[in-house]
Amino acid sequence: MKNLLLSSSLLLLLFYGCSFGHYRQLKETNVLTTAYPKSIFGDNFNSFLFKTNITVYKKNFSGLLVTKQLSSNDYRVIFTTELGMKMFDFEFKDSTFTLHYCVPQFNNPKLLNVIKNDIETLLMSNLLNKKKTNYEDKKGVFAIQQIKLQKSENYYYIDKSSGRLTNIEQAKKSIKKTTFTLSKYQNDFPENILIQHHDINLKIELNLLKK
Amino acid sequence: MKKIVFIILLLISISGFAQVPSGYKMVKDTSAFKQKMEAQSKLINSIESDFTQEKYLSVMSEKIISKGHFQFKKVNMLRWEYIAPYKYLIAINKNKMYIKDNGKLNKYDINSNKMFKSINEMMVNTVQGNLLNNKDYKAKFYENEKIYLLELTPTQKGAKDFLKVIQLYINKVDYAVEKVKMIEPSEDYTSIDFSNRQTNQAIADEKFIIK
Repeated sequence: MKNLLLSSSLLLLLFYGCSFGHYRQLKETNVLTTAYPKSIFGDNFNSFLFKTNITVYKKNFSGLLVTKQLSSNDYRVIFTTELGMKMFDFEFKDSTFTLHYCVPQFNNPKLLNVIKNDIETLLMSNLLNKKKTNYEDKKGVFAIQQIKLQKSENYYYIDKSSGRLTNIEQAKKSIKKTTFTLSKYQNDFPENILIQHHDINLKIELNLLKK
Repeated sequence: MKKIVFIILLLISISGFAQVPSGYKMVKDTSAFKQKMEAQSKLINSIESDFTQEKYLSVMSEKIISKGHFQFKKVNMLRWEYIAPYKYLIAINKNKMYIKDNGKLNKYDINSNKMFKSINEMMVNTVQGNLLNNKDYKAKFYENEKIYLLELTPTQKGAKDFLKVIQLYINKVDYAVEKVKMIEPSEDYTSIDFSNRQTNQAIADEKFIIK
C-alpha cells in the first residue's frame, strides 16, 4: 500500500513536473506579431456543421453541432442528435452566456460549464484587449501567443511555416488542463477538431460536414 | 347584447378554425379511419424506404439535410441508416439496440434504458403509423383530397418539454406514412420525408444484426 502511494505520488509529481516544464521550455520573444490570434470561424456570419462526439467518462453523446455567427460578437451553438433531437442550445453574446435549452442528460452545472468553456475557447471571440505575451518553442516551429484570461492562460500555437493555428492549450497556474488540436486543414479551416481534457475524462471531437 | 354574443361566437368559431392546418379539414368519422389504418397496418410485414430528414433551427439560415434508408420487419425489427452527409446506423432487433457510428459499434439492451425504450417505441410506431392508440399522445385527425394529417400531442410531462406536436402525413390511397414532422415547443422542427417505399419485400433477418 505504501509502495502504491509512493509510486502514485511520484507519478503525480512526474505529471505535474512535465506540465510545469512544458511551458518553461518556451522562450519569450518580442519580434512576433502584435495581432491577436484569428478565430478559425472568421468574421463572415457563416454557419458551420460538425459531426460531433462528446465522451464524458463512459457516456458518449453523438450528434450534429452547428455554430452560427449572428452578429459581430454573437454566436449561437446548437447540438442535436442525428435523429434531430435538440440536446443543447447556447448563445455567446459579448461576454454574456445564455442557455436557451438543454435536455436533462446535459443539465448538470459542472458538465455544462465545461462544455460552455470549451466552445467559448474555440470561438475565440473575446480575446481582444487581454494581456498577451509572445513565445516561441525550442525548435522554433511554432509562434506561441499566451493570453491571460480571468480563470486561465490560453496558449495559441501557430505553425510558422503554414501560418495555421494547430493547437490551443488551456492552463491554470502553468498546469495544462485542456488541449485543442486543430488538424486536416482545407481552405484555411480545420476539418477535425479534438478537445481533450487532462484533468477530467472528457473528450469532444468535431468533424466538419459543411460550412 | 345579441350583437356581443354573436361577435363572441364568431371569434370562438374563427379561433376554432384557426387550429385546423390550412388546406385541411377535420375528419368526421375518425373511428372508420382508425379501423382502416389498423387493417392496413396488419397487412404489412415489412417496409423499406429512402428518407430525407430536414432539421429546421430558427437561428440558422439553412436547414440541416441528411439522407438515408430504412428497413422495417415485423415484429420490432428496424434498421435506420444515415448515408449522407454522415454515416450513422441505428438498428433495433426485438430487445436489442445497435448504434454504429464512425465504424464503432455499441450494443444496448433496450429494457435497460428508459430513453432507448421510448426511442424504440417512437421509431417503430412512427414508421408503421401506429401511434393512434398510444395513451402518451392525444390525437387529432385532419384530411384533404390526398392526405390524412394526424396531429399527436404528447400528454406526458417529460415529452412535452421537447415535443409540441408530431404530425403524420398519411397517403389516402395506401395509408402509407409519407412524412413525419416533429415540432418542438420553440417551433424548431425535424421533418422526415419518405420516398421509394416498398412493402412486403423479403428482408433477411441478418439486416437487423449489426456486426
